[in-house]
Amino acid sequence: MDFQGLLEGFLTVMRPENILYVVFGGFLGTIVGMLPGLGPATAIAVLIPITFGMDPISALILMATIYYGAMYGGSLSSILINTPGDGSAVAATFDGYQMAKQGRAGQAIAITAIGSLIGGAFAVFGFILLAEPLASFALQFGPAEYFLLMLFTLSAVVSLSMGNIIKGFISMGIGLIISTVGIDLQSGVDRFTFDNVLLSDGIDFLVVIIGIYAVGEILYNYLTINNPIDQKTKYGKVWISKQDWNDSKWAMFRASPIGFLIGILPGAGGSIASLMSYTTEKQLSKNPEKFGKGAIEGLAAPETANNSAAVGAFVPLLTMGIPGSGTTAVMLGALIMLGVKPGPLLFENDPNVVWSLINALFFGNIFLFLINIFMVGVFVKVLDIPARVLLPIILILAFIGAYTMNYVIVDFYILLIFGIVGLIMKVLDFPIAPLILAVIVGSEMEQNFRKSIVASKGSMDIFFSSPIAITLVCLIVLSLAYPIYMSYRQKKRLKSQ
Amino acid sequence: MTIARLIVPSICILIGVVYLLMTISLPDARLGDADAPKYFPMMVAIFFIVMSIVYFIKEYLAHYDVSEDIKKVFKKDTLILIIATLVFSLIYTLIFERLGYLISTILFLGALLFLINKNKWITNILVSVLFSIGTWYVFTQLLAVSLP
Repeated sequence: MDFQGLLEGFLTVMRPENILYVVFGGFLGTIVGMLPGLGPATAIAVLIPITFGMDPISALILMATIYYGAMYGGSLSSILINTPGDGSAVAATFDGYQMAKQGRAGQAIAITAIGSLIGGAFAVFGFILLAEPLASFALQFGPAEYFLLMLFTLSAVVSLSMGNIIKGFISMGIGLIISTVGIDLQSGVDRFTFDNVLLSDGIDFLVVIIGIYAVGEILYNYLTINNPIDQKTKYGKVWISKQDWNDSKWAMFRASPIGFLIGILPGAGGSIASLMSYTTEKQLSKNPEKFGKGAIEGLAAPETANNSAAVGAFVPLLTMGIPGSGTTAVMLGALIMLGVKPGPLLFENDPNVVWSLINALFFGNIFLFLINIFMVGVFVKVLDIPARVLLPIILILAFIGAYTMNYVIVDFYILLIFGIVGLIMKVLDFPIAPLILAVIVGSEMEQNFRKSIVASKGSMDIFFSSPIAITLVCLIVLSLAYPIYMSYRQKKRLKSQ
Repeated sequence: MTIARLIVPSICILIGVVYLLMTISLPDARLGDADAPKYFPMMVAIFFIVMSIVYFIKEYLAHYDVSEDIKKVFKKDTLILIIATLVFSLIYTLIFERLGYLISTILFLGALLFLINKNKWITNILVSVLFSIGTWYVFTQLLAVSLP
């Protein structure tokens, strides 16, 4: 374990300007994450421009705390107004909102903060233990293995997106199509650019992301803009009683490893981690009937698991450059934009980036815990600002974000086109994560595919030539078979009823 | 209702076919394998067309009503909001570099606010002016990001 790296990362985060970024990012992330429908992915996407001009490490610290802040913010809006910011905050509505309705919002907010702190801290230690061995292991990967790993990630994201698998693959296909636009890096051939010079460099995936996540989400919010929000802002002291702690402590200690391990797996992410730990607690509980009616352990478990998963997801992201979810894909986009190339070599070439990021996650977590306990009133005020005012403001931020990527107006058109695509996908219930992931890894996937084919002189055998490759092929087959098996089982169960 | 449900799958098939035709007509690479730039898009195109056809068949055989969300989108009020926002955005795109960030954003944000936050004149004017000036100051002066 790289103690020196860890210490250097600690010292970097402790620099006054970086502490300021932790505070600033935490606040900003929480505010955006609290807005209905806007989760960590959108928060990172629209706030990327504020990192311009910073050195990469400070920018990364800011991004990491925005990510964390948005997760806390999502939990607050789940508890207080029953509208989760993204999938990983959905499980918080089951018991969190019920607690708020019963006048226990203070306890709900406190247990969310405590659970997130425990889950996040556990996962940071997990990361420290696991990341380096995994990075050394990833050094054995050649282009064929990388291609298969990316394929596995995409198929896992589709099959675990818990929706229609065909729609997931179509979403992924659109992402891959977008990734092929622009000059082909190996041959110099112009592909799908319609002779437009501005498309030669390809479609900027960050503009696609801002379009789909921010603009699409704003337009989708119009569907419910006239619905009154049932807001329970009355809460007492933000702390828990000894009884609450006794009821929820084991749930939190169980949810931490569950969340971390699921976070590492490609495709799973916070949504599955939180739902799975919720179900586990319900099954283990002596009073499962309490769940969904304001059981504090039913809130503690998913909130611990999703934070643990959020850090777990950084393991494959930083060691192999593979994002496991829509949110980490956006984070990867931000990293690439900042000139950081995640992968096994990152640990050798730029260890300070890794360890500063991990320290930022750790201290960001502690900071967010403190502000959520002591300053929650400030954030709750944000919920009083009507969506009718906030949505146009977010739209302007999206435009600024898109413009500052490349300073060309054509990106506004791309932003709007993908805003409409995002709206259509949301309305028709297409999962968005496969598209985002495919846009980001598509080009790298193609390069690895072609390198493999060249190395094997045109033979496909290279994809079965090493134990790692064979394992990955098996995993791809399994990930495709899983939803088919699940739907078969569901049909059988429905028949037997 | 079946016809309505088949519109999106048909568009997907169309996109896939157009993309496949464009892939076939890509120029050859001058170095190495002439078809190298086509392989990956070709695989993607075939995969996309197959998935779109499966989607088409599934929708054709399905027996459900359109979802709540689709009904909501086609409600007159929502549709007006969406279309007006897109039109305002297009106008913003056209005036952004001509009038500069500050003026165009005040106008765009103001228009959006009057569209969805009707009748709150003072709030709308204050928010659009203060937010535009605030972001302009933060981005151009503090973050050294150049805006037109």
